[in-house]
Amino acid sequence: MQGFDRQAAVRFENVEKSFGDVKVLRNFDLEVQPGEFVVLLGASGSGKTTALRILSGLEKPSGGQVYIDEENVTDVLPKYRDISMVFQSYALYPHKTVADNISFPLKVRGMVKSDMDAATLSAAKQVQIEDLLARYPRELSGGQRQRVALARAIIRQPSVFLMDEPLSNLDAKLRGHMRAQLKHMQKSMGITTIYVTHDQIEAMTLAHRVAILEKGVLQQLATPAEIYNNPANLFVAQFIGSPPMNVVHGSLNEGQFITNGVAIQTSVTGQAEKAIMGVRPEDCSIAASAEGTLSGEIFTNELIGDHALVTVDWGDDQISVKAPKDFAGEQGDTVGIIIHRDSLFVFDESNGQRMR
Amino acid sequence: MFEAPAIGKMSPMAKILAYTLLGVWSFFVLFPIYWVVITSFKDMTTVNQGPFYIPFIDFQPTLEAWRSQFNEDPYCTVSAIGRQLWLLVYNSAVFVVSPVVALNPMQPQICKIYLAFTNSFVISIFSTGLCVLVGSMAAYALARIKYAPRFGNIMVFVLLLIIVIFATTYVGAPWWASSSVGLALFFFLLRALRGYFKMSLKNGDILFWIISQRILPPIVVVIPIYVMFQAVGMLDTHLALILLYAVANMPIVVWLMYDFFTNLPIELEESAQLDGATRLRIFWEIVLPLTRPGLAATTLLTLVLCWNEYLFAVFLATVKVQTMPIMVAAKNTGEKGILWWEMCAIIVVMIIPVIIMAILLTRFISKGVLMGAVKG
Amino acid sequence: MTLYTTSRQPTVISAGVTLRNRLGEWVDRHSGTFFIAPCATLILIFAIFPTIYSIFFAVSRVRFTGDGLKFRYVGLRNFSKQFFGSSEVHFLGRTDPVSIFGYTIFVIIVVALLVWLWRSQKYTTWVGMIGRTISAAMAIFLSWILCASFLSGNAIGTLYTTLFYVIIGCTFQFVIGTGLAFLCSQPISGKNFFRVVFFIPLMITPLGVGYAMRMVADVTKGPFEPLLGFLGLSDWIWSVDAWSARFVMMVGDSWQWIPFIFICMLAALENVPGDHVEAAQVDGASSPQIFREIIWPQVLPVAATVLLIRMIEAFKIVDLPNIMTGGGPGTATESMTLQSMYIWRANDMGSSAAIAYLLLILTVVVCASFFNYVVLGQVKKVGA
Repeated sequence: MQGFDRQAAVRFENVEKSFGDVKVLRNFDLEVQPGEFVVLLGASGSGKTTALRILSGLEKPSGGQVYIDEENVTDVLPKYRDISMVFQSYALYPHKTVADNISFPLKVRGMVKSDMDAATLSAAKQVQIEDLLARYPRELSGGQRQRVALARAIIRQPSVFLMDEPLSNLDAKLRGHMRAQLKHMQKSMGITTIYVTHDQIEAMTLAHRVAILEKGVLQQLATPAEIYNNPANLFVAQFIGSPPMNVVHGSLNEGQFITNGVAIQTSVTGQAEKAIMGVRPEDCSIAASAEGTLSGEIFTNELIGDHALVTVDWGDDQISVKAPKDFAGEQGDTVGIIIHRDSLFVFDESNGQRMR
Repeated sequence: MFEAPAIGKMSPMAKILAYTLLGVWSFFVLFPIYWVVITSFKDMTTVNQGPFYIPFIDFQPTLEAWRSQFNEDPYCTVSAIGRQLWLLVYNSAVFVVSPVVALNPMQPQICKIYLAFTNSFVISIFSTGLCVLVGSMAAYALARIKYAPRFGNIMVFVLLLIIVIFATTYVGAPWWASSSVGLALFFFLLRALRGYFKMSLKNGDILFWIISQRILPPIVVVIPIYVMFQAVGMLDTHLALILLYAVANMPIVVWLMYDFFTNLPIELEESAQLDGATRLRIFWEIVLPLTRPGLAATTLLTLVLCWNEYLFAVFLATVKVQTMPIMVAAKNTGEKGILWWEMCAIIVVMIIPVIIMAILLTRFISKGVLMGAVKG
Repeated sequence: MTLYTTSRQPTVISAGVTLRNRLGEWVDRHSGTFFIAPCATLILIFAIFPTIYSIFFAVSRVRFTGDGLKFRYVGLRNFSKQFFGSSEVHFLGRTDPVSIFGYTIFVIIVVALLVWLWRSQKYTTWVGMIGRTISAAMAIFLSWILCASFLSGNAIGTLYTTLFYVIIGCTFQFVIGTGLAFLCSQPISGKNFFRVVFFIPLMITPLGVGYAMRMVADVTKGPFEPLLGFLGLSDWIWSVDAWSARFVMMVGDSWQWIPFIFICMLAALENVPGDHVEAAQVDGASSPQIFREIIWPQVLPVAATVLLIRMIEAFKIVDLPNIMTGGGPGTATESMTLQSMYIWRANDMGSSAAIAYLLLILTVVVCASFFNYVVLGQVKKVGA
């Protein structure tokens, strides 16, 4: 598959957006390299869709600039930005056939019919819907409709590809399949892609880099591995990872995290009256109550399949631990938890920032 | 008898009551129409001797009334009508190319009923077309584009309008002079006062303004419009009535189409925008086809309203452009009093197209197409 | 494998300069103006301009001369003629002598209105208070005329004839229309038949309706003649008595407009979720209870809107009085529009415009009041 000739770099510079009094996006800075797949990840209301729409030109920013290939496009109409967008609802024209839907961008540009038909066929083949060209959108399944939307987006060979939660309307099984397809397609075509989602699994699997947003503020911009292993703050740490990271309240003093009377050695320096320790369930192990760093009563023991998830009470908090699948502990038993020293994180409770 | 047998069903007594009442009202609705139709098949003696109810049993129906419509008028023979049909086509073509080429429309001697019918037909079709086109464009714009006309500018405009009219009426200046001066002053003031007035109206206000035009009783505007058309020599022309009817019905079209447009998902249009389509293209190729049922219902409704219009026609259509309602009303001034049987024949001719359109419309209404607009 | 199977690379794919068509781009950028300009221009020329021009007619004495129109300013004379001058009886009706009954009712109404004004002062803005004062002033004026003319046994003029058609007519039409809609919304068969049949009168040319009604109501030749003879009323001619003429006119108007109410209310009733009604039936509520507690509150916003629309149209009534009675007997069935039309035919354009303007003011105040106090109140309640 021939790559696209133009891969553009995208840059957000201090972009802000307010709707009335509500500030939806603040001081948003982002640089996307040509050919890179960046995922904007966040909960609803985090500003990720707004950022995407500002890049597409459907919304105007209240402040800041947007650059595509170092050209300031902040005031440029959407149709001149050379971008394509796949909407969450696919936005297929119900009264046009699949072929007419796909070729619409070319028709608008006044292309010759024969060239248009050839291009439509090509694009359809790339997403494997070439036998559906005469059908209408209402006759297609969700997955097929999504592929029509994709075909329409790639037919123009744009320099930037935008996607607004394209997989969220599909059922779980199809989602996994389409995820793989999307990743493969992007890699082959090498097109710069900005992808918005609230699903962390999509972010982790698809992205070269992930930008996590919360309440309009960029929390961290890094590769999936970096985000997983080195979260910048408590929000990122808790958002990524399934099951989510454990959170234990306490205080930090001279290399020791003190919680409920137990001191845990850590390499984190600094002082904090109120600190939070974070540790992932897979970085803990169940042991006899005397051997563990901490010990407490089992709250529940859930068999997931390949492992058991044991939740243990610790003061006001609860710690979940991944245990071997044959672990036989019962509700109320006292067990110990061994926390591997290098895999715990400490956050300052006042601002959520990671302490190092 | 009075108990409902099950949830969702009616008791027999209630059913009888319901059907009786509905039946009574159906009779009440259909009877006058029935009476008009059978009267058109009566002759003078049958009408004047008192009521006869059922054709062939009470009285002998005749085609007398129908024949006299066409026989009295020598221009109503079949061949004459054929010629007039051809002239209609020719004259329409003349009208269409008139901005470019000035041809002379042929003036035939015309069968009166035929003239009225074709006038009504032509005026209704063109004014409906104009009204729906202009109205749906405005409704689409109000639904999708953000407007903010400044209140100050509007006040300036109204003030200048009053001054221009004052100059034309009391001071006696020729209307084209005062209008051009007023227009020039308006643009000048617009530029000069830029930035002075901050308060602006929103889309909702503009929509309200357009829809509230319907409250204006036509009698208020008829007199000035009469004078206006007389000044430009457009009295008794098709164009005058076409424009007027279009304006009279525009509030309804805008109101209904606005509702349909706001119910369309906006992603379709956003996607098309990204693909490079101009707004006109989006309107024509994507939005309108998707609102086809609503558009059809609105068109039918406007057609009916234009066909039935009376007041403007009475004032402005005196000889050449008489529409059917005027012709029917004109039958009222015979020396012999009203010839009811002939009147009924014309009324039947007048209402048959409307009944057809009404039956078509109910299909849209029963699909709930028009009702969403009323709820809003 | 290339993206395109033809060897030719289409040149228009690039979004750069080739898309830019100067004129097309300029038009699209100003599409907002172009889309709304035709509508706004037409309304300006044919609605706004004539309305303002009409004021000049109403305050002048206008004559057709050899070279156009001559306007002579006469101030409010055309208006005062309707209230105090030669047209007073025609327009307002006879307002003396005023009976005790008339006075009493008037005082009651005025007191009620003042109390309402006083109470609402607490919770409305000053703009709202101005609106309410205008509504109250109009209401006081109208009640005075009502009490002095009708309630005192005197004749009424075109002002109240119009109001009769509007208020009594619309109420009558609303009650019957809603009743029919309710019946039709029950589980009966043949709904579509009724729907079509009931809809037809609305679409028939009002002129045709007028003549049809005139024929049907004819006492000597019409279909009811035997019935009237049976009832011993064969000498009664409805068109000679003022009130019976108005009543027959209202019946004719209702024949035409009840379908409108019927269609709208039927749609509203059918939109009430079936589950609500079924739940109430399971709970054991009777039909009247269900209607009052569940169905009616949900259709109130639509009902208020429908009534408002009907009233707006009702103020303009002219075809029917013109055809059925020619405004007679005397001027008993003349609506204000008809009065204006007859005055125009008599070449007194000033008075004609004045009456038209009075109708406009009446319509705007009554409809705006109804809209503000009834429609908005209902819509707010349901939170629609």
